[in-house]
Amino acid sequence: MSPPLLQIEELHVWFDLEDGGELHAVQGVNLSLEPGERLGLVGESGCGKTTTALAIMGLLPPNASVSGRVLIEGDDILAGGEEAMRPHRWVDIAIVFQGAMNALNPVRTVGHQIVEALELHDRARGAAARARTAELFEAVGIPAARAGRYPHELSGGMRQRAAIAMALACNPKVLIADEPTTALDVMVQAQILELLDGLCRDFGLALVLVTHDLPVVAQLCNRCAVMYAGEIVERGPLETIYHSPGHPYSRMLFAASPDLAGLDEPVVSIAGAPPRLDRAIEGCPFAPRCDSVFDACTIRPRLEQVAADHDAACHLNSRVPVV
Amino acid sequence: MRGTDYVLKRVGFAIVTVFVAVTINFVLFRLAPGTAVTNLSRVPHATQQLRHALEVEFGLDKSKWQQYVIYLKQLAHGNLGVSYQNQQPVSTNLRNDLINTLPMVTLGTVFAIVFGTFTGVIAAWRRGTKTEGLTVGSALGFYAMPTHWLGLMLIIIFAGVLPTAGMTNEFLLNPPFWTHVRDLASHIFLPALTLGLVLYGEYTLIVRSAMLETLGEDYILTARAKGLKPRTIVRTHALRNAMLPITTLIALSLGYIVAGAILIETVFSWPGIGRAVYNAVLQRDYPMLQGAFLVLTLSVIFFNLVADLLYFKLDPRITE
Amino acid sequence: MSEGALAAVAEAPLETGTSRRGFVLRTLRHQRVALAAALFLAAVTVTAVLAPWIAPYPLHEQVGPVFGHPSSQHLLGLDDGGIDMVTLLIWGLRISLVVGFAATFVSMVIGGIVGVVAGYFGGGIDTVLMRITDYFLVIPDVPLMIVVAAIWGPSLFHIIIVIGILLWTSTARVIRAQVKSVRERVYVKRARALGAGHTRIVVRHVLPQVAPLLIASTVLTIAVAIFDETALAFLGLSDPSAISLGRIIENAFERAAISTGAWWAIVPPGVLVALLILACSLVGGALEDALNPRLRVAHLSARTFRLRPLVGRGKDAV
Repeated sequence: MSPPLLQIEELHVWFDLEDGGELHAVQGVNLSLEPGERLGLVGESGCGKTTTALAIMGLLPPNASVSGRVLIEGDDILAGGEEAMRPHRWVDIAIVFQGAMNALNPVRTVGHQIVEALELHDRARGAAARARTAELFEAVGIPAARAGRYPHELSGGMRQRAAIAMALACNPKVLIADEPTTALDVMVQAQILELLDGLCRDFGLALVLVTHDLPVVAQLCNRCAVMYAGEIVERGPLETIYHSPGHPYSRMLFAASPDLAGLDEPVVSIAGAPPRLDRAIEGCPFAPRCDSVFDACTIRPRLEQVAADHDAACHLNSRVPVV
Repeated sequence: MRGTDYVLKRVGFAIVTVFVAVTINFVLFRLAPGTAVTNLSRVPHATQQLRHALEVEFGLDKSKWQQYVIYLKQLAHGNLGVSYQNQQPVSTNLRNDLINTLPMVTLGTVFAIVFGTFTGVIAAWRRGTKTEGLTVGSALGFYAMPTHWLGLMLIIIFAGVLPTAGMTNEFLLNPPFWTHVRDLASHIFLPALTLGLVLYGEYTLIVRSAMLETLGEDYILTARAKGLKPRTIVRTHALRNAMLPITTLIALSLGYIVAGAILIETVFSWPGIGRAVYNAVLQRDYPMLQGAFLVLTLSVIFFNLVADLLYFKLDPRITE
Repeated sequence: MSEGALAAVAEAPLETGTSRRGFVLRTLRHQRVALAAALFLAAVTVTAVLAPWIAPYPLHEQVGPVFGHPSSQHLLGLDDGGIDMVTLLIWGLRISLVVGFAATFVSMVIGGIVGVVAGYFGGGIDTVLMRITDYFLVIPDVPLMIVVAAIWGPSLFHIIIVIGILLWTSTARVIRAQVKSVRERVYVKRARALGAGHTRIVVRHVLPQVAPLLIASTVLTIAVAIFDETALAFLGLSDPSAISLGRIIENAFERAAISTGAWWAIVPPGVLVALLILACSLVGGALEDALNPRLRVAHLSARTFRLRPLVGRGKDAV
């Protein structure tokens, strides 16, 4: 059996804190992705999903330390640090960030920035590069003439399309999208999601979609991994998790999302806040906010198989029912 | 053309500021108490003819308002009065002085910009390392030193090796061209270096600050994600963006450098516009003082305008 | 500081009362270099205040030959009048600090008032005040100081006023931006709605928020004021009876200290001035940084993220 397209093994990320301590932002993440799969990585702000996504490409700041393996078709690309990671960037994995104003260089035209990617990885030069840029623009729905514009001259939606075009320039195998629609208004959000859907199909991309917005995941992904306090608490096919969640957090997340909870259900928000990650956590990290906490929860649960292709980290799944 | 309005507005503003500066100049010198100041015709050792001519030219017997109008008119013709010290027209004196100052100041400034940018980029790049501490420390050190004191320190260090006063060796009579050039070069070295070191300190801090700001922007992460090499990113993405605040701040400082040259020219007896101000104060040569002050103020306004227009040219986001 | 940065500052919760005073101390405790600088300033100020009691020799008495060499009795030698350099420096420090503090006080008052009025009332008043500020900015300081000092005459009081009049502009600008953002805060609007008078709002709500920024700006201004005084003294325009550090340098220069090789008459006063300016810049800079909550992540740096050996999760197995 050939290795998965993307495999993340025991990924840990720590950030140095000013007072000398460490923030354990990602605590042992294991994921795998096959070609054509769309994985939604969901959770609240601060749960570590963005850090995980950045770590896949090694885009961490100098105060970060990492352990674990990131394997592309069996090759560990994280092992050599920044230097060794660089050749894999954009050609194996590419990323689209949140569509803020500054994700694109403000003093260069959008066309130029795509040409830069093409020339850097020897896909095309000069006129051929410009032609390829026009093709990419067409694929994402931007009029080719806009290539000569600066980022601030484009609308938010256009900018995001341009960023997607740029990400696809070198035909990556995996596309990471970090909150790609959060900064856009609703109408444009729908367009971008449709675009991503079509592109992933047409280009045969595997997608990792990082977001806190569950309806977006519902629209775009077939698999889902739920993160809490730096670790994965549930993973499996989206349908499975939605219909039979194996972790109270997942259940409450879906219940907290008005579009998904169903018209008759009351919208429930999850009270409390996630635990601090600069000190070790005793027991289940979700226990303080959980509505089903019981005595076993003083011991930290591990991610275990609940059903075929469905893992969850919750003692409820192994509780022997009292008769 | 993009933003013709913007350019016109900035130029218009500069012109208005020139006007205000000219008026302040008049108020400061002509309306100050004491007739010694107000009387442009009181040129020592001047002939009665000259005095009378000046009186008529500047309407010194008329009301203040009329004097003001006449002052503006004369200014438009480049007539700034006659210096008390050498009975020459102020404008001629100033022109000669400016010609002496500019090369020295330009040399120092270019040195500071080149080395300051280089060091500033390195300091930002090597954030959190000893290199950064050293470069920032030395930049702060030079920045904190009083300009004239640094000049004196350099004199102490280089005494005997390089000339420390004047622009040329007066004992060289009709020297051949290259000897003359070498003579000038050896004289210009220390004053230019003094200016260069003080500015180097300031510019290093400016560049480092701008680069740190830029290196935290999102598009830098995008560039890194694309697989660009760090050196390329620094050059084509970071520096290019950091140029905006850097150019503005440097251009703004240029206006004041000509004024700061006063201290250096006094230390090194350099016959430029700075020393002209100093001598004018010493000798109470008010026409010269007024003229020099006006020139210095105008240079500040000019460089502010240059800073505005440069920023406009470099930043495509400014359109109105 | 840009408007945007200051807007961010305004959003950062700065409580009134004890936290305000604690702010300076807290900032300094976290930044060691600034702390050292602040201690230096404190030590220097104390020395200046105690000058009459701790100066080793009389200030106006010749205690040795002109430009006497440094010895065990006179650690920094003697100046051109045979006066002990250490004594001169201590007294000179006193004058320089007096001028620096006083001039800064003047500029702080002017700048603070202009900034608060312009920021608080906005509109036409703001435009007019800012125009005036712009014109003041355009006039080059050193020449103006020279001209005014020359016309007005060299006395300590005049020098202080002249320097103060030139330095208020940056304080005014910074304060104005801060006041503008504070004015938009909810509790200020509520106070207005309740009918609170302008004075009350300014004193009770605006000033406490503005105070830390004012302190930072003040410290930075002191550095410039000290430099300006040195420059004026060097050009012979300061009070001849008040021997400031700048004056000491000027005297040494005039009396050919360099050609007689008496470096001790020129180097120490300049070093002291440089240290003063450096210390003020460091402390002021640290305070300004602390008010700026932008935590910049370095997306690119010479240092990169570090790799650690694999970690298992075996320990806390269920």
